Amino acid sequence: MGVIDLDRLEVRLGGRVVLDGLTGELRGNAIGLLGPNGAGKSTLINTLLGFHEPSRGTARVFGLDAVRDRARIRQSIGYMPENDSFIGNMNGVRFVRYMAELAGLPAREALERAHEALFYVGLGEVRYRKISTYSLGMKQLIKLAQALAHGPRLLILDEPTNGLDPVARQRMIQTIKEIRKEGSIRLLISSHLLRDIDETCDEVLILKDGRIAALCNIEEERRSHRNFIELETFGAADAFAEKMRELGCECACFPGGRVKLIMPDKIEARDLYATAAKQGVQIRRIHQRRDSLEDIFLRAMDNNRDSEWKRGELVSL
Amino acid sequence: MSVYKHDYRAYTGRVTPLWWRVLVLARYGLSEIWSSKITIGLFILSMLPSIVFLILIYLANNPLARALIMRGNQQPLPMNAEFFLVVLEIQCWAALVINAWIAPRLITFDLADNAMPILLSHPISRFGYVLGKFAALFGSLSLVTWVPCLLLFAYQAYVSPQGWLGTNAQIASGLFIGSLLWIGWMTFLGLALSSWVKWRVVATGIIIAAVFVPAGVGGIVTGILRTRWGFLLNVPVSMTQLWARLLGKREFMGPNLSLPSGAIVTMLVLVSLACVAILNARIRAREVVRG
Repeated sequence: MGVIDLDRLEVRLGGRVVLDGLTGELRGNAIGLLGPNGAGKSTLINTLLGFHEPSRGTARVFGLDAVRDRARIRQSIGYMPENDSFIGNMNGVRFVRYMAELAGLPAREALERAHEALFYVGLGEVRYRKISTYSLGMKQLIKLAQALAHGPRLLILDEPTNGLDPVARQRMIQTIKEIRKEGSIRLLISSHLLRDIDETCDEVLILKDGRIAALCNIEEERRSHRNFIELETFGAADAFAEKMRELGCECACFPGGRVKLIMPDKIEARDLYATAAKQGVQIRRIHQRRDSLEDIFLRAMDNNRDSEWKRGELVSL
Repeated sequence: MSVYKHDYRAYTGRVTPLWWRVLVLARYGLSEIWSSKITIGLFILSMLPSIVFLILIYLANNPLARALIMRGNQQPLPMNAEFFLVVLEIQCWAALVINAWIAPRLITFDLADNAMPILLSHPISRFGYVLGKFAALFGSLSLVTWVPCLLLFAYQAYVSPQGWLGTNAQIASGLFIGSLLWIGWMTFLGLALSSWVKWRVVATGIIIAAVFVPAGVGGIVTGILRTRWGFLLNVPVSMTQLWARLLGKREFMGPNLSLPSGAIVTMLVLVSLACVAILNARIRAREVVRG
């Protein structure tokens, strides 16, 4: 059983299809949810939380239906929304305790866990201050504290580093890594910052226009693309890329003569030079490196196929 | 996740039942209401009329004390439906003022900082949320309406001659039902209008206006069209009629102007339903984060 199972999930808002036939099983300990603005990331999260009802298909969290078992799902989820969301005239500890009690903790345990959660995220010293007086970074952390206090099985973080300065961002990333390392909580992190996802997640779901553009394990993906080469060329880069494709490479051309390609094992570096020479292309720089999440993301964004995604499958370049 | 270790640990203890969360909302709502000194001041002020009525009941039932205090005025104070109608009216209008102050405190703090997405991401439905807030407000308003009214009635029944209770039992039921209708209606109105605006002071003004502005419009309708149905918009007049009937007091308006009780109750129910619809729409609109 995956953490999140999507089966032809379609969500319409105001008559517009926002999520269009999402199918996939998310199993990672830390799942990154990537996509440009309007791709449907927040809608997917809201659907998992039971705020939006699917017009077709189903969404399941730990095997529970997002519509029928809404209360049980919410019980086992800690949610940190993207925007400011708190009760400003409450102090930190009271707010976190309130949220923990709403999540089902008895009053005494909720108070104890509220203190602990606030210390854990680094707000211990300011826990008796009104939240309205907190800085932006503190407000992000109080949202994290309330999401953690009741000990959820799944922690949903929507843009957790939004608006944070570099130091605060690093601290937030470190906290997320520690939570992931502890192992009792699965994470679903929505972000448009690739670096955040790259640092914290082991699986990524990339959405584009309400559809799955990629669903893959980041580490596996990197391992399968060891022969990733970045070239800086001068000349007919498109024709060169076309020839390399014919040889079985996956290629993508970028402005300025940049070409990224993944060479299958049977192709060697000499084939690269030979093809370039035949096409009259100069290779001015060659850089062999690991596939980054950015590359996975860019390939997914380039993809225009309508076919459904299978786990581990990457879009052809 | 002990403090000294700063380490995370999952919660494995007991979890409260789902219905308990409504009580959590009500408890935090009550706490929010009573955290304001102005609220406490208003409640104390609303108790002053009850103390005056308590003294009047004492005097009415104690000729010696009446002779000592009200020298020269030997007329007995009648303890009847008319007296308790005044009690009910004063307490209910005090409740309106308190409602206008505390209803916005229950809702606008949640709206002002966009707390709805976090609140409703917990195992609590929109209905549960409204029920919790309703319970907090209804409970607080009970303290200035039917609770003091029935306590005064009980005191009067205790100190009056035998037989008074039997002949005036309708007053007790009238006080109770009349108060419940009024605070139930006001609670819906207060919560719905508070959910409409983010600023508490504005919400307070709107709640007061929602009662008295339609009353003026109703008066104009009645005057121009020469119809009694304009009074349906006039909540002070229509509620006084309803309370008088519930307490068993004779009609104070002519038959041409008095409204049927069914029409008044229907108006209260319709307004309450409209308020529920407003609440549902407003909370639904704010339960998810809008980019």
